[in-house]
Amino acid sequence: MTVVAPQMAVARHKRRRGFGREMSAGWFAFFMNVPTLLFLVLVLAWPVIYAGYLSVHRVGLAQLRRGEFPFTGWENYGRVLEDPLFWTALQNTVIFTAVTVSTEVVLAVMIALLINQTGVWTSRLTRLLILLPYAIPPIANGLIWAFMYSFQFGFLNRILFTLGLTQDPVNWAGNPETALFAVTVPYIWRTLPFAIILVHAALQGIPRELYEQAAVDGARAWRRFWHVTLPLLRPVIAVILILRTAFAFAVFEEILAITQGGPGDATWVAAWYSYKITFSPPNNFGMGSASAFILALMIGVMALVYLRAVYRRVTL
Amino acid sequence: MSDDVIRKWALSRRRVLGAAAGLGVLGPGAAFGQAGGPWSQAPRSKVDRLNFVVWTYGDIYTRIAKQFEADWGVKVDSTISSFNDHPTKLATMFAAGEKIDVSQSSPFSFPNFIGQGLVEPIDDLPGAAEYTKDFTAFTKQVAVVKGKTMGLPYFSAVWVWNYYADMMEKLKIDKPFSTYDEFIEHCVKAKKDGVSRYPVLWVAGVGLEQLPGTWYQMTWNRGGTFFDKQGNHMLGAGSIARETLKWWANTFEKGLDISDPESLKVQFTTSAKAFGAGKNLYRGPNHHYGLNVANDPAQSPIAGKVKVHGSPGDGKTIGVTHVYFLSSANRDKEWAWKLLQYLGGRTKDGNYTQAIGLAKDAMLGSGYSSVMNSDAIKQGWAPWGDVSAILKIWDQAAYIGEACSSVYQPWHFPWTDQLNIEVQKCLTGQITADQCCDNLIKGIADAKRKV
Repeated sequence: MTVVAPQMAVARHKRRRGFGREMSAGWFAFFMNVPTLLFLVLVLAWPVIYAGYLSVHRVGLAQLRRGEFPFTGWENYGRVLEDPLFWTALQNTVIFTAVTVSTEVVLAVMIALLINQTGVWTSRLTRLLILLPYAIPPIANGLIWAFMYSFQFGFLNRILFTLGLTQDPVNWAGNPETALFAVTVPYIWRTLPFAIILVHAALQGIPRELYEQAAVDGARAWRRFWHVTLPLLRPVIAVILILRTAFAFAVFEEILAITQGGPGDATWVAAWYSYKITFSPPNNFGMGSASAFILALMIGVMALVYLRAVYRRVTL
Repeated sequence: MSDDVIRKWALSRRRVLGAAAGLGVLGPGAAFGQAGGPWSQAPRSKVDRLNFVVWTYGDIYTRIAKQFEADWGVKVDSTISSFNDHPTKLATMFAAGEKIDVSQSSPFSFPNFIGQGLVEPIDDLPGAAEYTKDFTAFTKQVAVVKGKTMGLPYFSAVWVWNYYADMMEKLKIDKPFSTYDEFIEHCVKAKKDGVSRYPVLWVAGVGLEQLPGTWYQMTWNRGGTFFDKQGNHMLGAGSIARETLKWWANTFEKGLDISDPESLKVQFTTSAKAFGAGKNLYRGPNHHYGLNVANDPAQSPIAGKVKVHGSPGDGKTIGVTHVYFLSSANRDKEWAWKLLQYLGGRTKDGNYTQAIGLAKDAMLGSGYSSVMNSDAIKQGWAPWGDVSAILKIWDQAAYIGEACSSVYQPWHFPWTDQLNIEVQKCLTGQITADQCCDNLIKGIADAKRKV
């Protein structure tokens, strides 16, 4: 316990009353946050606000060049919601997100539990190797997998053929029934390490005494996982769900590199829709912004649902 | 030789050639060496640098930029992206207020670019009228819009078929198909005999003229179109376009299963490379210059064995011209025009340097009659294919806009997006050809709303 000398206490009291008095904790925190706040407003909020502004105006190339945007109200939103392709893209996005996020969470917990076994030397090597996919740029990852999936010359078909598992090559990315799932695999492969790292960090923060007490109470491995590990992982799982859902909803690079939305509309996702509407002639920036805003709104709602469903239960 | 001497010499030559042009005696030889034209004179204004925004094609842009700098002392910056990404790149640069002196366009994006104010007419610029006189019929249909010249040609191409001669011999088929029934017979035989698992490789990858072009060509060859002269669609029940699609879809997995599944992914050059693997009997119909890939020993194990073939019936086919244009966001109109000519017209020496180079190096056709009739084509194309056969096919080609007149409309682009989706769904058996065409008919109104 710290003992404050009477002289020091008097001096502090004087400073508080004088011109150079000490700032309250609240104000201090506010001023310390101002630079970050300004940065976020400029870098994140301003583009979002500007996109919102564009979404209620008629914006093509000519308007952007002139800087004059006729106000259209909700027209762009109406056109997006009337477009059947938008709904197809949204449906594909939901399927893609559900598959990737659920797979990631399950795999991340399983792999993190494995590499958390400090007694096994391979787990240390695995910990290092597991980070590699995360270091690969998304577009490069897409291109690598596009080669892997190639119908006639792809590595994947070559393996299956060599092992005698197939007589004819499989058209992974070109078949409408498999294309969307063909895109999920490279995406999961690239983003899984992020989830593993988070879960692994959370696992290391769980006190060993809890497991010991559970063992004393006769709990076996599965019950220890279910009643000790999983509840304590919930906050981090909530974070993973929120972040991975937001990112999976905005998947773009793998689509661009592997399928470009095809075959047909089998892999049109929401971000691809916004991109095509905005950057392909007739370059309807207003409509593209509207579709992106709808997407952002959906991600926001989903984040709230996750927070309420997963996070709160842990804090209670 | 000093610049003054060059200028005087150039002036006298220009007078002579000007008079010749006035008399309308510019013949095939006009592709070469008209050093005294307006193309040889420096603009009065001064610029530090110029730029162009183009899609990639070998090293042609590095070379032409170097030549421009050597000739005029002005540095040229280039922004180069892939063909499919080019409209996006150009649009974003334009929207961001960047300077763009010269760019290029496929005929499908061009009406949009014009409509959005990216393109500046070139009629009033020195020498433009002479170029227009030399335009081929294809070029005129793309570059001259509502009586105004909006660009200079980059290259022209016609849709042809290819076949693998050795495989044909193996199958004991003495000549390629002359009817579509015969085409099916050959493919079925190739599959049945175990010579080729997938006898035909189509260019049916998503794009503006890849998958759509294949359908346009086969419809046009059968005597059909996609729109009539009044702009009404020709996709209804019993239409040639619809029947063609039914026939085409039947060659895929759910039908005869003779089409290579890679067809749905490949573009022009990638299909030529894939065909070079020697696994297919036929490839087509698509751009003629694929031969310079399929018959290039460095790129194809079956080089020299890929032959060109015309279309069934009366041999009708389609062709296209891509263009360079002067951007309205240019920094100096006179200099931008000078640069535009280096890409799509004459260089300082009066030659169609770029067009001739493209013919020799890449087997591309030209948008200028004088180049098409010159030895540059005859000699330049010879290493890769039967030049006379291709030129014969060329004579039977109509501009792609005749088959699908919506290419002149700004809504053609979004409609093509839908066309790519619906036709791929049809070819993969997700919907029928009837459903596909019905959806496309509905899609016309949607596409118009998006513009």
